[in-house]
Amino acid sequence: MSIASVEQPTAARPAAVPAWTGVVRYLHSTPRAFLPMESFDELVLIAGKGIQGDRYLIGQEAGFYSHKPEEGRQITLFEIETLEALARDAGIELLPQEHRRNVTVQGVPLNHLVGRQFWLGETLLEATRLSTPCRHIEEILGKPVFNPLINRSGLNCRILKGGVVHVGDLVRPG
Amino acid sequence: MSATWCVPVEMAKPIKHLQLVVRQIDEPLPDVKRVVLADQDDWRLPAFRPGAHIDLHLGNGLVRTYSLCNDPADCRRYVIAVKREDTGRGGSRRIHETLRTGQTIGVSVPRSGLEFAPEAMNIFIAGGIGITPFVSAIRTLESEGKTNYVLHWASMGEPSLIDMLAPAVEAGRIQLYNTLNVPPPDIAAIVHASGNDAKAFCCGPAGMLAAFDAAVAGWPEARKHVERFTPPKKAPLPTARPYRVVLAKSGQEQEVAPEVGLLATLEAMGADIPVSCGGGICGACRTRWLEGPPIHHDYVLTPQEREQEVIVCVAECAGQRLVLDV
Repeated sequence: MSIASVEQPTAARPAAVPAWTGVVRYLHSTPRAFLPMESFDELVLIAGKGIQGDRYLIGQEAGFYSHKPEEGRQITLFEIETLEALARDAGIELLPQEHRRNVTVQGVPLNHLVGRQFWLGETLLEATRLSTPCRHIEEILGKPVFNPLINRSGLNCRILKGGVVHVGDLVRPG
Repeated sequence: MSATWCVPVEMAKPIKHLQLVVRQIDEPLPDVKRVVLADQDDWRLPAFRPGAHIDLHLGNGLVRTYSLCNDPADCRRYVIAVKREDTGRGGSRRIHETLRTGQTIGVSVPRSGLEFAPEAMNIFIAGGIGITPFVSAIRTLESEGKTNYVLHWASMGEPSLIDMLAPAVEAGRIQLYNTLNVPPPDIAAIVHASGNDAKAFCCGPAGMLAAFDAAVAGWPEARKHVERFTPPKKAPLPTARPYRVVLAKSGQEQEVAPEVGLLATLEAMGADIPVSCGGGICGACRTRWLEGPPIHHDYVLTPQEREQEVIVCVAECAGQRLVLDV
């Protein structure tokens, strides 16, 4: 059975609908590579550029990967459910400030959103690709998180509509 | 990593270290410089454990390791102390002669640290500037209200960082030996009198370390610690063994030591290969190989692809030479 045939709606098998609504639980940024992520109650998103003060703001890049410019890496998200899974399944305590993504969300199926638009509070994002884990994070944290984060280390996005995002804001399909 | 290693030369150079500003330099004693490093905006710095050390990238490939002396709770500064060693390998001379306030230098993330005996006595033995790893350790113990330690500190003349240990000095937990006036500490006697559950630490000149090694030769490893500044070594995979890597197009070749690994060796050679995840999953460093065969550890290539290509960030070599089409 092909994937395409699975996705074809029928009378007995209705098409999937985006029935999720999530919440912003934590917001983090840091101005330069290797420095700890700092927690904020709100972040200012600039359309087409990135997060004010963050290391990957286009034009002021100072991140570990800034030598590899990427237009679709303006903001990154991470599922809080992955942190819970790491603790539950691998006995690894990874804190929201340690995964080095900007936004920790709850109830958002990040891996399903590549190529799609969604609302993060008043801002509109477009998911460009899944984030990949990196040995760099193990160097910073001293925790063996590389392998457990494969296929669930977050989402890279570009910012289509800027604004201010707050902890507690809703995340909704676009 | 050179500018040509990951990306075309017109792109920015990869950031490999913290970039910290020299905020302050003072000289608590002649020939000892104390250096305060901080982020340009005083952003919080990566945390460190008592007794941790950092690498300073002093330019032209000169990298030297120094203990952090400040309290680990002081999270916006790194403080080191460096004694000038005119017969050393050049790191201390570079710091004493060229490092200036306001300068930005590359600094590694802190690593290592000292594991104290939680209840038993901790015996610190230091010679001269070898006090540095024990300064942050003692400051931590003092700030936690712990008194289960003693420091025996030998110094030819006045000790150099005594102002950083004032509470411990006042509490009588530091035994000073000015060896211009008194004999150095009898290390064997000190450790033998310390009981069967104490933990002993030593940092100092070679003669002191040798005396310490001899005194604790029969002790279990968990109860002794000698601080030696050696570069961090990668834990090699059990299957790893030395081989030569050859870059076919440039003709460069170099030995790959297991504790260094292929990726770091290629970085040192300035090989023109893009690298991203460093863990064998993103495929950025996919490279054709001509001779090997490689030992593959990636999650990217199919068995057929592995016959011609290799993910170099995690690979080893089963033969004597790994020839890459680079």
